[in-house]
Parts: sequence; C-alpha cells; structure tokens
Amino acid sequence: MKKRVKQSISLLLCVLLVLGALTGCGSKDTKDTSKETKETTKEEAKESSTPKEPVSIKVWHDGNEAIMKTIETRVNDTLKDENITVTFEKKAGITDQMKLYGNDEANGPDMYMAAHDSLGTFAEMGILAPITDIIDTSVMADQLPMTVDAGKYKDTQYMLPIYFETLLFMYNKDLWQGEVPTTTDALYDYMVANTNADAGTYAVVNQHSTAYNVAPVINGFGGYIIDKDAKPGLNEQATKDAITYNQKFAKLEADGDYNTVTTLFNEGKAAAIIGGPWLIDGINKAGIKLGVKSLSSFTLPNGNALAPYSGVQGVGVMKYAAASKKDAIAKVLTVLAGPEVGIDLAKTANCAPANQKSYDDTTVAANEMIVAIKDTASTALPMPNIPQMSVMWGPTESLLAAVNKSGEDVNKAADKYQKEALKAISDMQ
Amino acid sequence: MRLKRKLVPWIYSLPAMVLIGAIIVFPILYTGFISVTNMNLFHWSNYRIIGLENYERALLKVDSGFLKAIGTTIMWTILNMILQIAIAYFIALGLNVKGLRLSRLYKTLLMFPWAMPAYVSILLWRVGIYNTEFGLLNKILTTLGIHKVNYLSENVPAFISCMVLNLWMALPFMIMMIDGALQSVDRSYYESAKLDGAGFLAQNIYITIPALKPILAPAVIMTTFTTFKQFDIVYLLTMQKGSLTGSTLQTIITYAQQNAFVSNNYGLSSAVSIVIFVFIIVFSLFTNRGIKEEV
Repeated sequence: MKKRVKQSISLLLCVLLVLGALTGCGSKDTKDTSKETKETTKEEAKESSTPKEPVSIKVWHDGNEAIMKTIETRVNDTLKDENITVTFEKKAGITDQMKLYGNDEANGPDMYMAAHDSLGTFAEMGILAPITDIIDTSVMADQLPMTVDAGKYKDTQYMLPIYFETLLFMYNKDLWQGEVPTTTDALYDYMVANTNADAGTYAVVNQHSTAYNVAPVINGFGGYIIDKDAKPGLNEQATKDAITYNQKFAKLEADGDYNTVTTLFNEGKAAAIIGGPWLIDGINKAGIKLGVKSLSSFTLPNGNALAPYSGVQGVGVMKYAAASKKDAIAKVLTVLAGPEVGIDLAKTANCAPANQKSYDDTTVAANEMIVAIKDTASTALPMPNIPQMSVMWGPTESLLAAVNKSGEDVNKAADKYQKEALKAISDMQ
Repeated sequence: MRLKRKLVPWIYSLPAMVLIGAIIVFPILYTGFISVTNMNLFHWSNYRIIGLENYERALLKVDSGFLKAIGTTIMWTILNMILQIAIAYFIALGLNVKGLRLSRLYKTLLMFPWAMPAYVSILLWRVGIYNTEFGLLNKILTTLGIHKVNYLSENVPAFISCMVLNLWMALPFMIMMIDGALQSVDRSYYESAKLDGAGFLAQNIYITIPALKPILAPAVIMTTFTTFKQFDIVYLLTMQKGSLTGSTLQTIITYAQQNAFVSNNYGLSSAVSIVIFVFIIVFSLFTNRGIKEEV
C-alpha cells in the first residue's frame, strides 16, 4: 500500500514538474485576440456615434524612460476621448527583440520607437508597414526634410520622425579659456596647450575610436563608412586621411571609452567633450556651467565643416497592427507628428523636435542646446539605414582602435578592415 | 509482469527525458535544421532548404584567423588550468594548516569573486583596475611618476589581463573543491609519513596529490570546458561594442561570434555553431579518455 502511495506521489510530482517546466512555452490565443481587435475596429467604423470601444496600442522602445513618458502622456491626453491608450514598454536590445517578435501579433508590439539606423533591417524582414499606408504624407509636411529622409528605406516611408540627435561640442564655461575656436586646427592647438595626460587633465575628450564620433571628420573629409549602395569605404583615400587627422586628436583625448570620457568631463578634469543631449542629466547633476556649440561651426583644413551623423528617433508600425488597428494607429501617428509632442520633449528632455513648428515656441527657441542641434542639421548626415550598416560598426571601430590605440599603420589597417567589412556584408546573404 | 518491470524505469525517466529533449536536444536539432536553410535577413520568413552550402561556407571560415584563434584558445586553456590548479592547491593547503585562526572567514572571503555576477566583476576590473584614467594599476604608476599604460590595447598585455581576471573569478571554485578533497585525506597517512621522515614536498607528492586526483578529476574537466569556451571575459574586457580597446585577441567562440553571429545570417551562424559543437564534442571525447587513463 505504502509503495503504491509513494509511486503515485512520485508520478504526480513528475507530471507536475513537466507541466510546470512547459507552462512558459504556451502562447496567448492569437486568433482570438486578432479576431477581437478586428471586430472592435469594424464596430468602431460602423458606430461612430456610439461610445468607442477602447483600443490599446503597445509601443516598444529602447530609449530614455522619461522621454517616452512625456510622449505617452501627450498622446494619451490628446486621444482620451477617442478611447485610445498608448503604452510604451522598454525593451533592451530592441533590434533582437523585434527579430523575435516582429511577426508575432500576440506577443509583439503594435509600433516601435528607435533610432532610424535599424530601419532597413526591419523593412527587409518584412515586418513593417509603410507609414503612408496609414496616414497621408501631408501629416509629415512640417517635419524637417532631413528627418523625413532618414525614415525612408528604398523610397518607402517606414518611419515617422519624432526628434533627432547629433553630436555637439559641449564645454565647461568655468574651465574653457577664451573663445571656442572655429577651425579644427585651432582647436588642436588649444588642446596641445591645455592637456596634461599624466596629470589626468584634458582640454577636449571624445570617444575617438567610436565610428559615430569620428564620422564628423570622415564625412567632412569626403570619406564614408558605407555608401548607399552598401559599398564600404574604409580604405578610400579620403577616409584614411580623415582617420590620420583624427589620430593626432585622439592622442590628446584620453582612452576614448564612453564611461572614461564622460566621467572626466563631469568631474571637471576635461574642459570639453564631444557628446550629445544624452549626457545632459549627468552634466546637470555635476553642476557644470555648460556651453554648447554646433559641430558644423568648426571648419576642417579642407574648408568643409565637420559633418556628424544624425540619429533620428521615430516610430514604425508593425504590419499586423497596421491591418488590425489602422484607424487608431493613424490617430496616434497624427498626434506624434504634431508640434506639441516636440515642444514637450524639448522642454522636458532637451530633445530637438523633428517638427519645424515646434521651434516657434519661445522656450524651445531659447534652448541653446536644441538650437545647436538644429543648426547642425544643415551639415549632419542621417546615419545610413541600410541593413549592411549593422555589420559596419565592428570593422570601422576595429580600424579606429587599431590606429588610435595600438598604433597600427593606417593604410595596412584600412585594407585589413575593408576586407573584413566586405566579408561581413557577404555573410549577410 | 516482465513487461511492466521493463516499462517502469522508462515511465519514471520520461519526465526528465521530455525536459532534456525540450531544453537540450530540440534546440540542437532545430539549429541543425536552420543550418541547411538560407534563413537570413533577406529571407526572414520565406527561407528554404539549400543543402550543405552553409557548411561549405562555415568550413571556409577555418582560415588563418580561425587557426590563430584556436591557438590562442588552447594556450588560454592550458595556462589558465595550470595556474588555477597550482594556485588553488597552495591556497587550499594554506587554509588547512593546523591551528590557522579565522580560516572560515578566509574561506568565505575567497568565495566572494565566485559569488559575484561575471558581468559585474568584468566591468569592475575594466574600470577599477585596468582603466587608463581611473584604474588602480595606473594610479599606482602615476604615483610612482611612471607614464600610464593601456593594458588592453595590445594582444600580449590584454591576454595577461584577461587571464588574471579569469583566475580571480575561477580560483574560488577550485579552492573549494581542493579544500573539500583535502578534508577527506586520512590524517594518519601524514603521521606515518612523518615518522618515516617525509618532508613537506614528499608528503604532497606521495600522499596529497594522489589522494586528490580522483576527487578533483570532474572539477578539472568542468573547469577546462568553461575555460575553453570562455567568451565573456575576452569580449567584455576588450571587444565590447563601442568600447574596443585595440587588441585583436580572439578565442574560437569570440571569433565565431564576430564572423558569423553579427551578420543576421541564421543559416550560416547555425552551421558555424554545429561545426563548433562537433569540435567541442571531439575535444571532450579526447579529454575524457585522457582523464580516464590517468585515473
């Protein structure tokens, strides 16, 4: 009897163990959910006079929570009467998450918000709906042309731009002596005169071996990391000249690691940093009297201005959501495209709005950092958004690190990493 | 009755087999399936079977870079294992010295690096020890009036830096295993040996080491594999995206990651994974055989 009880208990435990372990493998009933949503949309269309059925829209992002909260509040307040609720959910490593859930209506998002450089990847995967299938192009009439272009892939508009970021020259007004130079050569002279690496004090710090931070010089020299036809340009003469020019600055810019340069600036050991609005929280906490200058106001020896990349933050719509929640998403996109969201973002988070009308607001127009970012938009180039760009960061940064940190010959290293880049691109197919 | 007797063990093992099947066997089989397809960014949902084409490409990756990575990995494994076992052995011996006060406290403190999440430890070392501006080593150098050194910018210093960190992280496990094994050695052997005039060296060579061998073998095998497929230390210390240090140190896992897994070509990445899987299986067969013969 005892034996039988033991056997029964152990079998029961085994079954429970298996069931418990496999519970997580279950998925929500996709069909029912989509059916419900479709029914909701149909009802909405039919009975516009009766109170509308609630529609919830999930937006995944990998950005700053405070920024997303600002957008969420504005959109939800505006669409309160429409019974539409937008929820922003933070997903670390959003590109990988989108690869996993981009086709999964039950578990994936309805929309996503991220920088435009991953747009080509998502578009090639076929998980995004063109924005123009949901809203008219006139909704984007007030957006800065550069930001609208950044949201296009193969001539199709997949992304609605919200705000954009770029690199700036940010300096500590208490430490910087005199006027900020207008040429990079004069800046270099200032750095030579005011840097003492052994004492740990620097005139300017920069992530000198990061592709995004060296792009202003590369673009300004007429070089490129990758062109629109997915051809890497690491061993182009102009790129090599730019890297050689950047190398002498790198020697005076500490290790170049993000944490190192940020800490040096925030601790008052560096008078200036090449960075962006994402540094502002730390700078404010450190109590630094900040001055900001657009990188486009620095001239290179060839007469061109520094031309940084711009990263446009915008929203894309998943294909399945465009089919099942089209009307609600159209309303959300219309609010997002308006100037109010841009004004809110500028006031709360120093973001430079994509909507030009936002700059008519006096507070926005008086914000030194936002004005500097907008000024830079004249020379800034949107980061390439072709999928091949995703494999270019590695070889480009390896090249920069080899030259700046290991002292390798520029020509040899450029040839080596150009080959690596070509191999990485061919591996994608 | 006989049938029932035959079935019962299978019924009891079934839940475990289902779990192992779902968690271990299925992913391997699925990876094998993907490896014969052209699943990549441009064929995300419309992929098809393309035969062994990906394997041909994966094997072509066995170029000079791959061979160099294998060499580095083997050297990494051998050096780490030798140092780990030797250092852990002497520390464990020290902890077992008769009359040592606060030995439990030392043992607890020695466990600390092992208890810390690897990611945190690695970043702490990167910033707290090796950083050019804020690292302890450079602080000491500048205090002595010596120029700062970038420990991670070239291969040899980066290799040594990674190895020191690996030892810091892995030693507690080995110390714990050796310490446990030492407790099981009968003290009377040492007393007899002493009476026969055996010194410290003779006692260790003829009593301690032979007694520890069978107990330590599984721990050594496990640690050898962990060290062989080491990824996080080398990657986070020298190759983190946006924070490359300049060294081009590669183990086979980092090499595979760099060459196959950043491409979004899942067919090719799976083929590379299967090749590495086979490579590790062969390696483990040899290691197991070697250890069996030794024991």
